[in-house]
Amino acid sequence: MKSFGLMPAGLLCLGALLAPVTAVQSGEYNLTVDRVQVDTGSFTRSGIGYNGATPGPVLRFEEGEEVTINVTNNLSESTSVHWHGIILPTDQDGVPGISYPGIAPGETFTYRFPIRQSGTYWFHSHTGFQEPDGAYGAIVITPKKREPFRYDRDYVVQLTDAHPHSGDRILRNLKMSADYYNRKQRTLFDFLDDVASKGLDRTLADRAAWGEMRMMPTDIEDLQGFTPLINGKAVSQNWTGLFTPGERVRLRFINSSAMTYFDIRIPGLKLTVVQADGNNVQPVTVDEFRIAVAETFDVIVRPTEDRAYTIFAESMGRTGFARGTLATREGEEADVPELRPAPLLTMADMGMAHEGMDHGSMPGMTHSMPDGTTMKGMDQGSMPGMTHSMPDGTTMKGMDHSAHGGMAMDKPDPFYAPGSGLSPTAAEPGGKFLSYSDLKAQSPLYAERPAGREIELRLTGNMERYIWSINGIKYEDAEPIRLQYGERVRFKFVNETMMTHPMHLHGMWSILDNGNGRWNPIKHVVSVTPGTTVYMETEVDAPGAWAFHCHLSYHADTGMFRKVIVEGGPPEKAAALTGVSGG
Amino acid sequence: MNFSCLSRTAAGAAFTVAAVLAAGPSSADMGHGSSKGVGHAGEAAKATRTVEIVMHDNFYEPEKVDVKAGETVRFTVRNNGELVHEFNIGTADMHRGHQKEMMMMVEHGVLEPDRINHEAAKAMQADMGHGMHNDPNSVLLEPGKSGEVVWTFPEDAVLEFACNVPGHYEAGMQGQIMIKH
Repeated sequence: MKSFGLMPAGLLCLGALLAPVTAVQSGEYNLTVDRVQVDTGSFTRSGIGYNGATPGPVLRFEEGEEVTINVTNNLSESTSVHWHGIILPTDQDGVPGISYPGIAPGETFTYRFPIRQSGTYWFHSHTGFQEPDGAYGAIVITPKKREPFRYDRDYVVQLTDAHPHSGDRILRNLKMSADYYNRKQRTLFDFLDDVASKGLDRTLADRAAWGEMRMMPTDIEDLQGFTPLINGKAVSQNWTGLFTPGERVRLRFINSSAMTYFDIRIPGLKLTVVQADGNNVQPVTVDEFRIAVAETFDVIVRPTEDRAYTIFAESMGRTGFARGTLATREGEEADVPELRPAPLLTMADMGMAHEGMDHGSMPGMTHSMPDGTTMKGMDQGSMPGMTHSMPDGTTMKGMDHSAHGGMAMDKPDPFYAPGSGLSPTAAEPGGKFLSYSDLKAQSPLYAERPAGREIELRLTGNMERYIWSINGIKYEDAEPIRLQYGERVRFKFVNETMMTHPMHLHGMWSILDNGNGRWNPIKHVVSVTPGTTVYMETEVDAPGAWAFHCHLSYHADTGMFRKVIVEGGPPEKAAALTGVSGG
Repeated sequence: MNFSCLSRTAAGAAFTVAAVLAAGPSSADMGHGSSKGVGHAGEAAKATRTVEIVMHDNFYEPEKVDVKAGETVRFTVRNNGELVHEFNIGTADMHRGHQKEMMMMVEHGVLEPDRINHEAAKAMQADMGHGMHNDPNSVLLEPGKSGEVVWTFPEDAVLEFACNVPGHYEAGMQGQIMIKH
């Protein structure tokens, strides 16, 4: 599968001295895109995979390598492969309509690009709903230099949310009724319970508010009924990674789900997070972490006992879980915890839980993000206006980023609206749950400098019609975002919806402003929770056209998507390495 | 108690950290150089040899040191990384106790990723009555700085040298000390 061209690795040093231009290692890889059978234990269906399987193979590259990847489309429809998180020339990015036309049935497209980074990434189709249907695989890139951590074993742990329905059918159903897949709707009994605890007036007022938002407190996952998988295996199929007690094990978590966030823990083990989205972070030890759709987190664990440990991944809405096992021998199992109770969204997640607040003045509202526990005195009559006027995110500015990092364990996570129903807590009593605030670049890639301008992106949607958009405009009606090569731009995400959106910019790094200054981490996905404003900056260093979208498949497809055009820049960079399409 | 000279540093800017709070008894004992089976502060003049330790992000070079039972070794430690690192000799349990203290120093702003904030250390000292002081079994170094630890090893013990900056030990910044007879 893989071949090394030009010269053996042992001669690389000498080669580099003599002829730096040609002294590159190169590997050639072949991928076929195939119809495959998906078997989750609970259902089987036809899906899409690579080299005859879903997930596809783990592609293993080396930093500094020039890769050639031949992708042959064996489907009866067009396809594409996007190399998620890889920094590469615009025409190699694999987004139909932006990078290239896609790969027609029966054709082979040859990708060629240099690998200039290391870490854990993934690849997937960027065409229709092929990705939710199974078209994904992992990428592992070995660095040139020794890594700032140590391990004896190395496993990819790729999470997905296989659904019995095809992506096209799911979208039809969501369009027909946005709560089609919400199995956690509130019942008459919930209503009576609420009346007993809150009183009739409060209960009715709450219901009216949720009704006006066209949302329900249970709308955490707009797609339920999926089967979570680890490396393609369901709970009963129990993916297992072996270890010898005392060894350090590197787990490369990749969330390749279409729609599902997971809360991950391994009871009995501390998790030391060493990479986020493929980039080294200063190691931080936690009991549990949440992984947004399309993110990756690499963790080191060190099981010392001669027994099995359960890798437990609950969906954020608690409608399902995946489990895998770290074991000293095949077939060994550990206890599988109970799924915790489902969280309920609160008024804070509407971004509007302000005591006695006057909604007429919402657009001008700039300060005081609420504690979100009460709704007294809310004027329901003015609620409809609320759908378009959410807080401007001053919470984040006011939030205490007290320079020295390390959130105390009992402080709420500032990346959630105060009082948010989604705010995570560790299952382990007193345990530490990873926050975005904890992420600090191990060795910052870019020098700190002020951004030249700010671009506001309000994350918007109409739940009832199942249309998702940015600044109220869906992709097909939107102008591209134009950036200038060489500038540093600051993006302001204002989440005006009640869903959590993992925003993914292609081609360039997203520098998450998590208050750590020069240590702000670089990522490829920035998750924005309801009722919050999050900032990221981008050094605009990649000419060409790029996609920028919510990575929830059905949100991206229905309009929460933009094309970004980077203007200017060195022509040789823009023209670098053109892909060759052929039969 | 003549070890005040022992963890002096070449650059004069390295510090060891100990007993920020009352940690485990073993750690407190360490802070006062009692042997308790892990050895004790040594005199530089009695050192039989010098072992050079280079700190990187986040690992040591070398990652394994062999010593003779009862031997006094002078460790010269240089931080070639971009982050603050520690070189601390102790048992795994002692390191675990010390990691809690280091976490507290991070939370108080004393320990920043790439520097030791001496103002914050003073504030912490004033607030809590505890701060940083020299401790013979360890040295805490900012990037580019060097330091020294002289240690007399016991006859027998299971010891590690480790960096207890939060996360570093768990990421693998830890080395083995083999006591040979």
